[in-house]
Amino acid sequence: MRDFIKSTRFKVLLAFLAFLIGIMIYAVTKGGYSLSGASFIQTITKPFRSASNSIGMKIEGNLDKVTKADEYYEENKRLKVQIGELNKQLTEYDALKAEVEELRKFVSIKEEHEDYVLSVPCSVIGYTTNDPFRSFTIDKGKADGIKPNCPVATAEGLVGITVEVSENVTTVRTILSPDLSVAAVCSASLADSGIIEGDIIAAEEGCTKISHVTTENKIKPGSMMITAGNSGLFPKDYPIGIVREMEYDVSGLSMCSVIEPCADITRLTSVIVITDFTGKKEESE
Amino acid sequence: MRLRTTREQRILYIKTVLRWFIYYLLIFIGYIYMTTGTWLKPVILLPIALAIAVDNNQYGSVFTGAICGFLVDIACEKLFGYNAVIIAFFCIVISLLHELYLRNKFANYILITAASSFLQCWLDYKFYYQMWNYDNVQRIFTRYTLKIWLYTVISSVIVYLLIRLVNRFFMPKNHLSIEEVITTKSQ
Repeated sequence: MRDFIKSTRFKVLLAFLAFLIGIMIYAVTKGGYSLSGASFIQTITKPFRSASNSIGMKIEGNLDKVTKADEYYEENKRLKVQIGELNKQLTEYDALKAEVEELRKFVSIKEEHEDYVLSVPCSVIGYTTNDPFRSFTIDKGKADGIKPNCPVATAEGLVGITVEVSENVTTVRTILSPDLSVAAVCSASLADSGIIEGDIIAAEEGCTKISHVTTENKIKPGSMMITAGNSGLFPKDYPIGIVREMEYDVSGLSMCSVIEPCADITRLTSVIVITDFTGKKEESE
Repeated sequence: MRLRTTREQRILYIKTVLRWFIYYLLIFIGYIYMTTGTWLKPVILLPIALAIAVDNNQYGSVFTGAICGFLVDIACEKLFGYNAVIIAFFCIVISLLHELYLRNKFANYILITAASSFLQCWLDYKFYYQMWNYDNVQRIFTRYTLKIWLYTVISSVIVYLLIRLVNRFFMPKNHLSIEEVITTKSQ
């Protein structure tokens, strides 16, 4: 061993380790952009990952049907009851629809979001290996105008934010992660606000959590939470999720609740990146 | 190893190239497997790098370890170079241990892989979860870290058999003349 430590071989190996540490430190300074080496590997392996991921998802889907048959049976029963209730609501909805059609003459959805600059639809290449908070990679990157810290969404609701952008691949941090905080308000009573932030227990069910809600709130189970839009990171009034049940947090000074995201974050296939919108905070270099 | 003829040299060259080609093919398959699907998966590139390090010199081992580490970093979205440093270090240690003290036995490999894998998983838990004081962070350790470690140890059995198979066919063997054998035995 002593001979080895004195040998040139040892010095070379030590120098190589130092070189690797250097790369790691350099990677820290990149501020959201991948290193060219990582970007190159991501680009080369992209088609293989896409192909194997689609096969893997199909296999998982089929195995899922077998292993969760009882769960699906129960869910089916529950959904049938829910359909009955929804049909009843549909009758009421039709009446309201005529009224809404009148209002739509003034405010259409397109006009509502005309400030949004959207990316082309992005396919989900795959979820990050062993990540409890379901971050994932999409097949569009810097070349498509995507930058770090752009909101990512589906038609149903907010999904997360871009964190690491390569030339053709982008990593998305989801709203299930405790590292992402979104200011939210209740769509029914805009005065009730809180912070949506991931939670380890909630993430196990594909849910997130709202906290710092005042005790005098009027939020009811089933209320829709939307983005407050005051951070400059997310556009205003975009749906996030449904409130399960409000309860006091550990301190007892405020309330919190599990939020079921509008978009099923655990099984996404395609998303859209909102590259620009009114009130977006400009990135400081 | 003494090479006597041009033919032997050519065989050695072809076998070495083929062996490393298969190693890197296995690494590539391991990486694709790691990036597929949504279920928890073993960090299969760690046992592959260690199995390669067992039978090869330090230079080859440390380079392969670094490549595997970089791929793990990309697959798991970790800081680029973080796992490269860890796995390259493990590879040097294992290559040295096998050169100086240990025999190439299955039990040795499994024990070392289990220990290295645990250390890698534990460091990942420490740096990426526990350090940030998330609520209920211990659940990550029990529900994710330990499972991933267990899957990695189980997968290392298959990896070991595969690498042994590759080495059996493509690892060059010592060629000694009858005189050398007699001399070695008489010593």
